[in-house]
Amino acid sequence: MNETVLIVDDEDSVRRTFQEWLASSGLGITVFASPDAESALRIVNEHPIDLAVLDWNLGSGSDGLRLLEDIVEFQPDVVAILVTGFAGIATPLQALRMGVRDYLDKNADLNRETFLKAIRNQLDRIRPARHARALNRAATEFRAAVENVLPLVRTTAAFNDPVPLPEAVRALLRFLIRATGATDGALLVRHLAPDGTETTAAYSPTGETHSATAIPFAQSLAASIVSHQEPMVVNGAEAVTDGAVQLMPFELGRKSILAAPLPVGGGTSVVLELFDKPAPGFTQADRQLMAPAMEIGADLLRQSFAERQTSRLLFDAVDAALKASTGVTDVLSPAENPLPAAMERLKAGLAEDTNATADPETTLRLVEAVRSIAVRHGPTAVEHCVRMVTDLRKLLDELTGT
Amino acid sequence: MNEPTVFDEIFARLTPDRLFNDARATGEGIAIAVVDSGVERSILEDKFATAGTPIQTIEGAVFRPTGPPAPYTGHQSSPHGTTVADIILTLAPRVKLYSADVFGPTGSCEVETVIAAIRHAIDVWKVKVINLSLGVPEHKLQQPARRQQLLRAIEEAYFRDVLVFAAAHNEHPITRSFPAAFATPLVSVDKGLFADPLGFAYRLHDQVEFEAHGRGYLGPFAKEPATSWATPHLAGIAARILSLKPDLKPFEIKTILYWLFRSTKQPPE
Repeated sequence: MNETVLIVDDEDSVRRTFQEWLASSGLGITVFASPDAESALRIVNEHPIDLAVLDWNLGSGSDGLRLLEDIVEFQPDVVAILVTGFAGIATPLQALRMGVRDYLDKNADLNRETFLKAIRNQLDRIRPARHARALNRAATEFRAAVENVLPLVRTTAAFNDPVPLPEAVRALLRFLIRATGATDGALLVRHLAPDGTETTAAYSPTGETHSATAIPFAQSLAASIVSHQEPMVVNGAEAVTDGAVQLMPFELGRKSILAAPLPVGGGTSVVLELFDKPAPGFTQADRQLMAPAMEIGADLLRQSFAERQTSRLLFDAVDAALKASTGVTDVLSPAENPLPAAMERLKAGLAEDTNATADPETTLRLVEAVRSIAVRHGPTAVEHCVRMVTDLRKLLDELTGT
Repeated sequence: MNEPTVFDEIFARLTPDRLFNDARATGEGIAIAVVDSGVERSILEDKFATAGTPIQTIEGAVFRPTGPPAPYTGHQSSPHGTTVADIILTLAPRVKLYSADVFGPTGSCEVETVIAAIRHAIDVWKVKVINLSLGVPEHKLQQPARRQQLLRAIEEAYFRDVLVFAAAHNEHPITRSFPAAFATPLVSVDKGLFADPLGFAYRLHDQVEFEAHGRGYLGPFAKEPATSWATPHLAGIAARILSLKPDLKPFEIKTILYWLFRSTKQPPE
């Protein structure tokens, strides 16, 4: 979409000249022209305007800066070039705040070349900023949409969450302990991440975590069970002390062990272990009982993992999208918006003023507060501010006797 | 009473005593691949050196579903494979053992990995015997193409004169376990309990032909009867026979095993 330029000048010949210069410039822009503030505001109300070329003196007591204040109400991002014969009178800070980025002096060297150069300069700044604004707008709309959806996603995930994983499998472990007559048990979970990182955790039937161990999974009893792919029994502790495996701390000293793998897959190995059934120890019947338990436990785990994985993927996607949109906003805004740089320059200028009684930050905060009121509530509100400040000064003068 | 035939003469001569008591029946000259969870080399080297029967250096590789195999570092992915290798070496200490680790660090085994290991054992290691003390559950072979690929690999072994011993997974109430279910081109092994580790039986049922001793000697669950332990027993027995005549064909070994069983009718425990 082409940039749009609005020319406001009460002199018909000036308007026509500016229009002709722009039409013959090859800039490919859309041009609106208006002789006064009222008709200019109508145009602004109906069309997006990127750049306003405003005459300082519009006649009938109106001026370009005041018109710009009104235009900003409609289009806060508009920038302006003031055409004036009284450049020294304009308040640079206020004008800059209002979006004035350049001045053209009618009494100096205003000709086709300087005019088009000023227009080109501003369009060169406007284009990327305009693009950034469009992206930001899209990102903001996207964020709003995602943020609206997020609670719904979370609720849905919560509804789909099955019996909490540890409790479901713990319940199975407790059931097996009772059913087989074992006196204790453990659930060992080992996960191998795609990058080769191995984590092992072990839980008691009540869900407490067994102390971490540095035994490599490949050397463990649980690894042996995983390879067997079926429940296995060892009655008699001497069988597990021949060096072929190392025992976890919670396996040490056990008289008998019945263990079964829960084939979960996806880099995760889960092993159920039952301990110390009184003599004669675990039987073939106990082993047979473990076989269906393997299936049930594996189904529970797989279902839980799959649903959590789905939810995690969804959350990851949403999170990534939010980060991406934030990234777009962060990257584009500072670089493309000239205002922060201008503010820094202003601050530097104010700091150099040796007569200043307030620091630059405070001065700018006051200016910003007034500007904000102007944008939101118009010139009347600003006048009210001025009166308030004046009244405050009088009050303080009376109180302090100055 | 019928006159004895040549077969009676063969059965009378072909006895386990004559074969297994031959001093040359050590597995010497026979290469065996243990397709399993890797082998902890130092444990076996130490064990057999201490027993006065030093073994040949175990070599191997770690296989993955795709890509070339990774080098074998002398370690197991889990103790299962070491127990299996120990059984083979106990029966035939002079075999050349290759560890084909198909589990790797993930602890799971895919069909493609097993196929890759089988092909590598045949083509690169030139083994005469492959021991598969593992089973791929039927649900992983629902796709006919995958099942066909595994069968094809087993058939390739047969047509390359390589004997494949596979553990039957006969305890599962519903599913079958592969490749043991491909009974014809390989030797499927069930577990039994025999007084002599060299004991075995021919018991034809479902997809199973032989039973062998189901207890091992090393590892936490070695004493627990398992087809995983029975399979290397029969593979070790075959290695001993092959060390006497290395060019025997798979069907000849199968026949000899059957005839050995007939000649003794060894009863299970």
